[in-house]
Amino acid sequence: MFGSYYEFYNSVKIISGDKALDNIPYELGILNVKRPLVITDKGVESAGLIKIFINAFKDAKEEIGAIYSDVPPDSSNRVVNRIAEVFNENNCDSIIAVGGGSPIDTGKGVNILVSEGASDLMDFAGADRLVKPLKPFIVVPTTAGTGSEATSVAVIYNEEEKVKMEFISSYLLPNLAVIDPRMTETMPPKITAATGMDALTHSVEAYTCLQKNPVSDAYAFSAIKFISEYLPRVVENGKDKEARLWMANAATMSGIAFSNSMVGAVHALGHATGAVAKVPHGVAMSIFLTHCLEYNLPKTGEIIGELLLPFSGADEYAKCPAEKRAEKLIEDIRYLQSKLQNISGLPMKLSEAGVEEHQLGDIANLAINDGALMMNPLDMTFDEAMVVLKKAF
Amino acid sequence: MGIKTSVDPGSKWFKKITAKVVLVILGRAFQVLSRKDLSIAREIDQWPEGFKMELNIMPYGPNLIIEKNEGFIYAKNISDKAPDLSVNFKNVESAFMLLTPLMGVPQGFAEHRFVVIGDVAKAMSFTRCLNLILAYLYPDFLCRNLMRNIPEINFLNRMSRRAYFYSLGLILGF
Repeated sequence: MFGSYYEFYNSVKIISGDKALDNIPYELGILNVKRPLVITDKGVESAGLIKIFINAFKDAKEEIGAIYSDVPPDSSNRVVNRIAEVFNENNCDSIIAVGGGSPIDTGKGVNILVSEGASDLMDFAGADRLVKPLKPFIVVPTTAGTGSEATSVAVIYNEEEKVKMEFISSYLLPNLAVIDPRMTETMPPKITAATGMDALTHSVEAYTCLQKNPVSDAYAFSAIKFISEYLPRVVENGKDKEARLWMANAATMSGIAFSNSMVGAVHALGHATGAVAKVPHGVAMSIFLTHCLEYNLPKTGEIIGELLLPFSGADEYAKCPAEKRAEKLIEDIRYLQSKLQNISGLPMKLSEAGVEEHQLGDIANLAINDGALMMNPLDMTFDEAMVVLKKAF
Repeated sequence: MGIKTSVDPGSKWFKKITAKVVLVILGRAFQVLSRKDLSIAREIDQWPEGFKMELNIMPYGPNLIIEKNEGFIYAKNISDKAPDLSVNFKNVESAFMLLTPLMGVPQGFAEHRFVVIGDVAKAMSFTRCLNLILAYLYPDFLCRNLMRNIPEINFLNRMSRRAYFYSLGLILGF
């Protein structure tokens, strides 16, 4: 079940719950910094979330050095370079990223440049290129979510080379993740559903793929339990504060899980679909999840079946014969997806997400070259990828 | 007194020598089989001219360099060009496990036994080539432990190319 050796590392302090944001100045004091640069995007700002954030600094001795709110949906090296200049011009000493994956990854990229005193991000692309701690970095996620507040990876688009650069280092882990239910309250139902399915996929793949280990399994198992209970609730009623909070926690736990136990075919196909057909990440994850679980059944059916317990509950798990649990889980996930589709319009097929049939070949070609496929229990050739894509279409 | 200075832990010379031998054989196999197997040739066709990848055992070697020149693959020990793709085994123990049929690449990657620096797509392409090469070098019962799916190769081609490599190919390098 497990390999002969594993590595697990998570140094992120998590503060979560009612008024968590208001503890940020205190936490900055513990980190011995007092002038953070805040990185966010226009969506977060226009949702009024930055105003809530700024209120947390009332009567604090720490002050906000500057706010950069023009991060685009896909972070790029040019944006990172510009923000690094803003950091230096305003004598900031730390970074707070407020938002989803893009501001968080941008924050990680900026932290590399300002901490290393470098001008070219490319010098640090790849795995384990950083050799010393970076400046204090805090993340306030506004989705639930990518889990980027707990991962040691950043993906940034290189505008000159026209490729996505991956940065992998434990030094990229934030010092602190702040989970405040107010920050995810304004997410519309469809995005709530998509990002929630992204979190579910992280946990399921972390639990079922080749790099699984007992510690990441514990995080994934717990996250799945929360997601199954709170995701339909929060998509139905976005004002449900309790559901918002525990979905955000589940996303962070899923992030910790997959940061220490890599994902597999769902992400390989999802990344490719995003690149070719511009399907949002969470939507792609939702569409591919059950198809890839079916694909992996011959190799990891028993392990997949274990997840019926946290997903569907003890009664369903006990009622179902062991050899049928994996299929029951897939059926129950599909039921959840159809419920989410009815409430929010979340697509369940690639054709519903705007993918055209002639794009499937390009998607398959990209997917088989995605590093995530390496950790999938079964290998996937171009032809096998096409079969999965046609089923998902 | 319970103080020791100038501690000399020695060297894992046997595993280093074994790793070196396997790297030489692997390099030769890549060189020979890329000229004989269509699937490997198709993968290499997609690599840019001058593409260089390194397999290194940290910190001091041994290593293997593979370069594409004029459409063909060449295995070397030294090159003055910076690599486009590096696979760095963290230590000689990790290298020994991966270079002998004790551990396959998927398991090695899952267990963080090596670090990949460079283009991930090329790394995946190299892994597909490696699986084909191992299928030629080793019988099925060893391959089953080393890869998720054994590539499908025509039985006669597999046997004849294996025989050629272990007789002439390894010595001649083509």
